[in-house]
Amino acid sequence: MNKITIANRNNAIFKVKGTKPLLSELRSQGLDLPYGCQYGGCITCAAKLINGEVDQRSQVALNNRQINNGYVILCVARAKTDCTFDIGVESHDKLYRNPFIDPLDPHELKSNIATLKDNN
Amino acid sequence: MDGLCCGPGYSSPSEAVRAPREKLLYTIAIYTGTGIQKPDYLATVDVDPESQNYSQVIHRLEMPGIGDELHHMGWNACSSCHGDEKMTRKYLLVPGVRSNNIYVIDTANNPHAPSLHKVVDGAKIKSKTNLSGPHTVHCLGSEIIISFLGDAKGEAPGGYLHLNKEFEIVGRWENSMGDIPFSYDFWYQPRHNVMVSSEWAAPNTFMPGFDLEEVGHLKYGRRLHIWDFEKKKPIETMYLGEDGLIPLEVKFMHDPNSTHGFCGAALSANVIHFWKSKNGKWEWEKIIDIDNEPHPDWPIPIPGVMSALLVSMDDKYLYINNWLHGDMRQYNISDPHNPVLTGQIWMGGLLGKAPIVNGVKVAGGPQMYQLSLDGKRMYVTTSLFSTWDNQFYPEIRTDGGVMVMIDCDVENGGMKINKDFILDFGKEPNGPSRCHESRYPGGDCTSDIWL
Repeated sequence: MNKITIANRNNAIFKVKGTKPLLSELRSQGLDLPYGCQYGGCITCAAKLINGEVDQRSQVALNNRQINNGYVILCVARAKTDCTFDIGVESHDKLYRNPFIDPLDPHELKSNIATLKDNN
Repeated sequence: MDGLCCGPGYSSPSEAVRAPREKLLYTIAIYTGTGIQKPDYLATVDVDPESQNYSQVIHRLEMPGIGDELHHMGWNACSSCHGDEKMTRKYLLVPGVRSNNIYVIDTANNPHAPSLHKVVDGAKIKSKTNLSGPHTVHCLGSEIIISFLGDAKGEAPGGYLHLNKEFEIVGRWENSMGDIPFSYDFWYQPRHNVMVSSEWAAPNTFMPGFDLEEVGHLKYGRRLHIWDFEKKKPIETMYLGEDGLIPLEVKFMHDPNSTHGFCGAALSANVIHFWKSKNGKWEWEKIIDIDNEPHPDWPIPIPGVMSALLVSMDDKYLYINNWLHGDMRQYNISDPHNPVLTGQIWMGGLLGKAPIVNGVKVAGGPQMYQLSLDGKRMYVTTSLFSTWDNQFYPEIRTDGGVMVMIDCDVENGGMKINKDFILDFGKEPNGPSRCHESRYPGGDCTSDIWL
């Protein structure tokens, strides 16, 4: 069992088994969370990880900058340790950016097309 | 009796032009991606100037759950089954791009207050056809095909879902996708046994938002595809290159004998005209090129982002939008090789030319539009797609979408924003929502196709 703290919901605490993705574990315990595709492809359920570690290898929506900024796709991610999150659009301050004003470096693209930072 | 309630369409485009004026329209409105934990919904808008409720939402049909991202929609029947007395234009098919569900909505029982008739379950569509990311709905005579942009895992190129008239899954419509890399919009012209399809990107690419660098990595489309409609397979590709980056909406002329059609390349902000030449070969040319515009805060000039395109029912005018610039344009296409700019309006956009329309602050720019059958009234909405809205127009989260009406001069050309009509989706009862595509009960300029 891992302890999940939702910082921007008055530090509400949930206990998860890690057998299902965080979205379904937390929703089944009554936490109201946004979601869309439910397979890790669409970013609607993104939350910001403040502390802890997750396994979200099956997500395909985030680019490396978003991952480095702590974003987690809850519909596929599982907690590996106790975690603290901010959830909902209030946590999306760094999720969306104007791609013309603020372009990505090659190592910040999605993992399937990103180059290694050392090669730049 | 089309035009009054529902029916099998019209015998010809010219008969459609003479149909009674629309009194209602349906538009989808989304909460997906807005931070409001409510379902997306189908809004009924009163567009009868004689009504007390003119220019207001008079009914909201909520979907059963959250997170669908309703987007485009289409009728179960159009003029392609005119003459089939068993068919009626009764059901709107409304796909959820993210959930994969297809909502079949009965608009005939009570046109003011449509009701949910059936849900084609998104998970079932995935398991039976390996498709996700539904987009364009066209009826096909009495049956229906819907373009999907990805497979069940959100990878391109997707394909076409075939539903029968009871809205049961028949399977995949196409016999082959050939070497098509991406899907998006499509239109068909049966007398020439042709379908044309365009390219956006894989759901996993466009759903999370727009990374410009992914265009260079060939994650976005730049081709049009010509299909053998009866054999249900692609036979020719038109590679548009830099002139056709992200070719989105594609339309043929309404005249069923015409082979001329148009596509708006969103990122290049070009209109591509295509046609079948006398020797039977498909040709294309760029006929409209919108210049990028400088902006003090942008390191490079802003592209128009021509996300939609529409041909009037009489095939005389082509309408385009520049979502980031904030303008709508009308071109006379009597000679489709040489369009003539005849009208332009501004609403919203990043260039700051019309931040307020009829007293309402416009977040976003002109994005989706539907034209009345007589060509005189165009209803325009402002949201593109939740994640893309959030990138380019973050204020739309609190301001919501807007619907504007444009009076179009069909005789001499010209566009003017109607002063009496404005619908502010920022004031919706559950909070600011975003409106997108619209349809009229009696048919419209992006539904009807003639056999």
